[in-house]
Amino acid sequence: MTKTNMIALGVLVVMGFIPFFADSAWLAVGTTFLVYSVVAFSQDIILGRAGAFHMGHAAFFGLGAYATAILNTQYGWPILATWAPAVIIPMVVALITISPIIHLRGDYLLVATIGLNIIFIQVLENDLFGITGGPNGIFGIDVVRAFGYEFMSQTNMYYMAFILLGITLFIMKTLDSSKFGRAMFYINKDDIAAQSMGINVRYYKLYAFAIGAGLAGAAGSMFAVQYSAVSPEAFNVLQSIMFFTIVLVGGSASLPGVLLGTIVMFVLPEVFREFAEARYLVFGLAMILTMILRPRGIWPVKFGDIPSFLKKGTK
Amino acid sequence: MRRILPNLAASVAVCALLVTAGSAADVIKIGVQAPITGKYANEGQSIDNGVRLVVDQINAKGGVLGKQLEVVTCDDEGAAQKAAICARRLVNENVLAVIGSYTSGATEAAQTTYYRNKTLQTSDGTSNSLTEHKYWTFFRNSFKNSDQATFTAKYLVNEKGYKKIVVLSDFSSYSTDLGDSVAKAIVAAGGNLIYQGKVKSGTQNFTAVLTKIKSMEPDAIYYSGYYTDGGLIRAQQQQLGIEADFIGGDSNDNPDFMKLAGSSAEGTLLINFPTPDFLPYDLAKDFIADYTAKYGIAPSSVWALMNIDGLRAIVHAVEMTKSEDTKVISDYLHTLRDFPGITGPVSFREDGERINTKFNVYEVQADNSYKIVNE
Amino acid sequence: MDIFLQQLVNGLTIGSLYALVALGYTMVYGVMKLINFAHGDLVALSSFVGLTVYTNMFADGGTSIVAVITVFMFTAAIIAVVGVLLERLAYRPLRTAPRLSAVVSALGAGLVIQNSIMLIWGPNMKIFPSDLFPSTIWDINGVVITFTQVMILGTSSILMIALYLFINRTKMGTAIRAVAIDQDAAKLMGINVNKIVMIIFVIGSALGAVAGLFIGIYYRGITFDMGWTYGLSAFVAAIIGGIGNIPGAMFGGLMLGLFNALISGYISSAWAETFTFMLLIIVLIFRPTGILGEKTAEKV
Repeated sequence: MTKTNMIALGVLVVMGFIPFFADSAWLAVGTTFLVYSVVAFSQDIILGRAGAFHMGHAAFFGLGAYATAILNTQYGWPILATWAPAVIIPMVVALITISPIIHLRGDYLLVATIGLNIIFIQVLENDLFGITGGPNGIFGIDVVRAFGYEFMSQTNMYYMAFILLGITLFIMKTLDSSKFGRAMFYINKDDIAAQSMGINVRYYKLYAFAIGAGLAGAAGSMFAVQYSAVSPEAFNVLQSIMFFTIVLVGGSASLPGVLLGTIVMFVLPEVFREFAEARYLVFGLAMILTMILRPRGIWPVKFGDIPSFLKKGTK
Repeated sequence: MRRILPNLAASVAVCALLVTAGSAADVIKIGVQAPITGKYANEGQSIDNGVRLVVDQINAKGGVLGKQLEVVTCDDEGAAQKAAICARRLVNENVLAVIGSYTSGATEAAQTTYYRNKTLQTSDGTSNSLTEHKYWTFFRNSFKNSDQATFTAKYLVNEKGYKKIVVLSDFSSYSTDLGDSVAKAIVAAGGNLIYQGKVKSGTQNFTAVLTKIKSMEPDAIYYSGYYTDGGLIRAQQQQLGIEADFIGGDSNDNPDFMKLAGSSAEGTLLINFPTPDFLPYDLAKDFIADYTAKYGIAPSSVWALMNIDGLRAIVHAVEMTKSEDTKVISDYLHTLRDFPGITGPVSFREDGERINTKFNVYEVQADNSYKIVNE
Repeated sequence: MDIFLQQLVNGLTIGSLYALVALGYTMVYGVMKLINFAHGDLVALSSFVGLTVYTNMFADGGTSIVAVITVFMFTAAIIAVVGVLLERLAYRPLRTAPRLSAVVSALGAGLVIQNSIMLIWGPNMKIFPSDLFPSTIWDINGVVITFTQVMILGTSSILMIALYLFINRTKMGTAIRAVAIDQDAAKLMGINVNKIVMIIFVIGSALGAVAGLFIGIYYRGITFDMGWTYGLSAFVAAIIGGIGNIPGAMFGGLMLGLFNALISGYISSAWAETFTFMLLIIVLIFRPTGILGEKTAEKV
């Protein structure tokens, strides 16, 4: 294990023990961080690894959240039963909507994904089929119930989100060292060359979108339970921009980078509420400065050009 | 780089410890959940200012049950998601009660969290759905949409005798609820409802739907949404040459309505609970005077004052029951009758509704002042 | 029929405004291949600046032509300066960086401008006085057109024609077109690329400023966050019309305005943006260079 990965693992272990000495206000911040970092990682799979200019990710996050919300409040499903739809529905939507546009060049794909996000928001706000709740969203979402217990406290939610992050990281590590990971790496570097080597670029990019969407959906479900309410503005284009930025500013395909990006973008504003007014101004400046000074992100992948499995023979 | 991470972990840990150590025991915390920023900012700020003013006054007299009151404010930006986030935050701060929010949507998004955590909540939201669950933690300090709808329909159909009425609302739960209630009430009263439609709040340009309406030649347009859109609808109605009376529901009652409507504000009819200037109670006059002295402007509207009455009723309940147990306080509030309030006598029902509210119809004059035109 | 004509009038008015803003986007994208996400926020800024200029210079509400022209020119000048600063500080350092970095920087710049507006003018909606233009209304067989609408249609048309002539009939315009085709070759021809980029930002920002003022006058209520979505719609218009070319942006803007008005009138304004983006996606799939775009060899 490389040094950066060990440090990141250390941070995660610390986070696992935080509930023992933090009060619920801080646990809430922590839970938010965990949920958002899952979404950020799922964005990283699509943007950082597969290199697709995707600025509509909040829509997948929202699909999962609303899936849980609608199935629970309108159809009475228990929360645990909504996890599968919350993962599958975004994946299916991703495949259907991204397939026709996956071949588009960077900027055009970017605007198209923004468009998909906006369409999603409008569907929510206009209360399509009367089930999406309009601009005020859906509230009164239940808590997780299992074995006769109600997992209602902040600590419970924190651990659920923590487990979700653990699963996410596990999936990502597995992907990285698999055929998918290698294909992604080559596609990112030069997709025309990759294509001529026989890699089906379209298949792998869609694969990345599907996995990213599914993970985001799972995080969305957790989000819905944490706040008992969902509404459109948590999943709008501004949020997509945040996720997009986290990956690029933190460092594409970099585990500590994405975590750091999530902390900066979502946790710091909670901590420094007094500067809440100027917080987006500071973000904007940080975004510009980071790109100028550290174009690969604050904590980029070290030695990113040569994957470790190729370095084995060299000394 | 190697040094950053351990430092980061350490500072997070230290902060966490500091926060847990810092929670004091000798205060009673009151939460405010309101749109401090966003399009309803001037209402939200009024609510926050009003609460802080009352809290200062109470603290100066020794506080409640020997403890000082402390206000914790969370800005929900008038948005449901932020409201849900605020609810979590305020609950985690262990507030006794929350004053908020201004919009029904933001109130409802937070309601379940407060209920699950046994935190009291009082709001000026008027959506019928707010009391549907009959949560014992919730107290409405204003009136119900269906009451306003009945009054509105009677006024439009019976008193003014309009022949072709259009009802517009926006997509928020409050406005849709009010619009639907009014439409139903108009039909029930035998009136002729020629069109019921929705506009999207914030689109600024309503000429498309107004053009459609123009061809139907209405004599009355009723709008159940908020002042930020109502004012523009009125202005654009005049521009397009639609000669119909404009009647606005209670959320159009705000100085910005007049500003947006400009010269077309004159002659607009607004239906609302008695506005601050028309409240005949001494408590009201005193409060408005104190507020204006401290903040330099008058409270934005009667909504802020209703929320203040909610706060005052809760504080009163704490003093009378000598308890900080929210269930005990709630039981007391459900039996509260005719507690003297800024907006009139405050009484609550078992489902959290406030009883005995009345309405006025105001006609906006050339100088933007109001004239009561009913009764 | 007059409903349709009325929607046409409204649609063309809104479309002209979109076109003015779209021109700013298309010029920058054509030359630098950069989506200037901050442009919409610049337009919003110009509404606020314009309002302040107006209330400070003509506190008693003078509505003379001189007053109006002065406000427009002042505001355009200020916004042009801001635009040049934007380019110099946020975009020039990233000319050779990967595309994604410039995108992030543009988004960041947009946030900075948007929040500066909020910090300077406060978060509440600001309201334009209704008497900047006379409130004359003409009623032609049931179709109403206001003085403001005429001004918008007239001014935008003049400006767009002027821009078209500038780009296609002057030496400077030729230089701009050269830089858009190939920056390095243009440099070899002796064209000062930095200067050309600056000129593009000046023109784009000035046009955006005119649009911003008209938006304030027409819609009356302005908020600090209105620039982002408005700008995005304008950019979509530019893509649909054909990114990188001037007639494309004009056509796209007008078409989008009409499309919006007709959807809002005949279906519902709640779905306007959905249809807009569906149209965008259809155009991108079937005719990616836009309706008026040239077929280029570049892969889309």
